[in-house]
Amino acid sequence: MNHDDVKSNVLTTTLESAINWGRKNSLWPMPFGTACCGIEFMAVLAARTDISRFGAEAIRFSPRQSDLLIVAGRISIKMMPVLIRIYEQMPEPKWVISMGACASSGGVFDTYSVIQGVDQFIPVDVYIPGCPPRPEGVVESLLKIQDLVDKEKLSDYALSDTK
Amino acid sequence: MLLEKAISDVKESFQEAILDVTEFSGERSIHIKCDRILDILSFFKEAGFEFLADLTAVDNLTLGGFERFAVVYHLLSHESVERVTVKAYLPEEKPTLRSVESLWKTADWQEREVYDLYGITFESHPNMTRILNPDTFDGHPLRKDYPRRGRIERSDFPLVKRGIRKEDETP
Ligand code: SF4
Repeated sequence: MNHDDVKSNVLTTTLESAINWGRKNSLWPMPFGTACCGIEFMAVLAARTDISRFGAEAIRFSPRQSDLLIVAGRISIKMMPVLIRIYEQMPEPKWVISMGACASSGGVFDTYSVIQGVDQFIPVDVYIPGCPPRPEGVVESLLKIQDLVDKEKLSDYALSDTK
Repeated sequence: MLLEKAISDVKESFQEAILDVTEFSGERSIHIKCDRILDILSFFKEAGFEFLADLTAVDNLTLGGFERFAVVYHLLSHESVERVTVKAYLPEEKPTLRSVESLWKTADWQEREVYDLYGITFESHPNMTRILNPDTFDGHPLRKDYPRRGRIERSDFPLVKRGIRKEDETP
């Protein structure tokens, strides 16, 4: 192999950015749709906005196979333990989108039975405002998550005694 | 028609249990004491009002009424397409009345819902447990003296921290 072949065929990068590049372009969302926002999320998957353009079309209804939780809809006090369980079942690394007014703040449902924002109990990375958010908003949030994934540090995953 | 006859018959047979008979926009309501509920409803069922369209309850705390609670039965006759509302009044101290599950199977879940949200219990109901709220729930949230924002139930969950990633950050 001569020197010119090497120059045009070999790409050097860091392991970290190669892994992050792979992860961010292949997010597997787990939709937790409990209300009207869940319906709107279906539109995000459909032809007009089509999040497969961003590599996130592999919707997993099993938390064990997904790395992006999309909370779409109101969470009631009976549903919150289920949501916590599902979040905990997702393998690391994982990210969370809180879609819509209800998931982010309880929305107009200021009653005893509706959680006033899932971020009180589980860590949320990106919030989408709106009731429901437009599909473009969901795509924007996906791009924001991709930015977050891009900034991941492999050293953060090292067990604390090896850091 | 079916309705007029049924109402006058009920008035005659259950005189001591009838509190009032009212009419509002063409809808007839019969207000009764709660102890004869099963007899009166089986009377209506035999008189042709064979369909229980709805079973719900009212808390009269701020409305006023014969008693604090009323359990409301909406009956429909398929034959003459007439409706009648039966309201059974229950005292606050002892909100209990007979289940009508033996007359209409559909009353099973509706009575559980009334129990869950108003704390009214139904005697001889096959499964008097909560249907909407979690089993561990304390209180009956549709009572008018229950705070709208609840007690602490909507903020009483464990906090889930981020995993090994960025472990020093709190959510
Ligand atoms: S934010 Fe609006 S659209 Fe979304 S779940 Fe709540 S009420 Fe429905």
